[in-house]
Amino acid sequence: METASSHADNDTPELEALFESIVAAKEDPGAKPAAPALPRTVPAKSRARIKSPVVAVAPAPVAKAKPNGAAESPPEDGGRDMIERIGHMTRQLHDTLRELGYDSLVEQAASAIPDACDRLAYVAHLTEQAANRALSATEKAKPLQEEMERDATRLHADWERVFANQMTPEQFKEVAERTRAYLKGVPAKTQATNSELMEIMMAQDFQDLTGQVIKKITDLAKSLEDQLVALLIEHAVPLKRADAGEGMLNGPVINGEGRDDVVTDQTQVDNLLESLGF
Amino acid sequence: MPDSDIKFLVVDDFSTMRRIVRNLLKELGFSNVEEAEDGVNALQKLTAGDFDFIVSDWNMPNMDGLELLKRIRADERLKGLPVLMITAEAKKENIIAAAQAGANGYIVKPFTASTLDEKLSKIFQKLEQVGA
Repeated sequence: METASSHADNDTPELEALFESIVAAKEDPGAKPAAPALPRTVPAKSRARIKSPVVAVAPAPVAKAKPNGAAESPPEDGGRDMIERIGHMTRQLHDTLRELGYDSLVEQAASAIPDACDRLAYVAHLTEQAANRALSATEKAKPLQEEMERDATRLHADWERVFANQMTPEQFKEVAERTRAYLKGVPAKTQATNSELMEIMMAQDFQDLTGQVIKKITDLAKSLEDQLVALLIEHAVPLKRADAGEGMLNGPVINGEGRDDVVTDQTQVDNLLESLGF
Repeated sequence: MPDSDIKFLVVDDFSTMRRIVRNLLKELGFSNVEEAEDGVNALQKLTAGDFDFIVSDWNMPNMDGLELLKRIRADERLKGLPVLMITAEAKKENIIAAAQAGANGYIVKPFTASTLDEKLSKIFQKLEQVGA
């Protein structure tokens, strides 16, 4: 048994005990033969991970411990054994998922995704609309402001000349007339500007709506993550944490804190480029 | 001071961003501005029209801004054009890659009007020095 324990030293004590019992059964000629010798390619980890011990899964150590024993099974049966075994494992994973209630959770999650996509499309739509409203309003208001500024500057220059006694009475009359017209026209322009400012303000109403929608999606992502993590802890080999931000197309940095591979403001961009001699 | 008739091509897949850049450029005195929605579209316009300055996003469908920049630098007729990148890509790797590919400036979104003004002036200054 020395070889067996050294091979199986990564396994749990219960698996070891199971192993012992199977070896004992095998050695007993009267006992019903256990599942045929299994392909040795199955990694020890997958055995250790499967919770409820199934005979079809456990005999792998037998094959390992007794290399000669594996030869008992004719090689042409290897493929079928493998398929049967995969079938077993699939069935078992399915059962375990159902026992733990994960299948319905996964189902919920899967059905929540299309909904989340619709919500995100809605957010994209609202924000675009808002941006366009604000831009349009600005484009309308700016010329009005510029016109008032230009006219006022010109009138002011004229009045300076009036006060410097540089104008004939006719010219003065003309300036007074233009000033009167200007003052008459100002309220209409300020009202128009004002209503554009209101429009810009109202265009921000999307924030409330998108905020709510985004919160819902964040909650969904969180619960999805929790469920998947639970599932992984239960069933999967340890995952290597994916490196944040591979490649060159990552979009905006949502959280630059604690990362030294990104810049967080324009000064850092400039410093970096300068340090490289650009 | 640079000529206010200088012709800009603003490349971005988001129309709102193109609009904002166009308005900012107008504010800075440059009203001769055309737009392209991605690198492919930009290259078509560049080869067809006499542009003087390119302001480009990075992440775009069909052809991204870095590829556009490389194509411009590889094109005998276009390679002298100044290219200013305005992008949300903020990894140092990106900034270095853009500089090495021959970008004349790099602005990270979100940005302000004064940043754009400053970068443009800097690029014009350098171009004048080279030209002088």
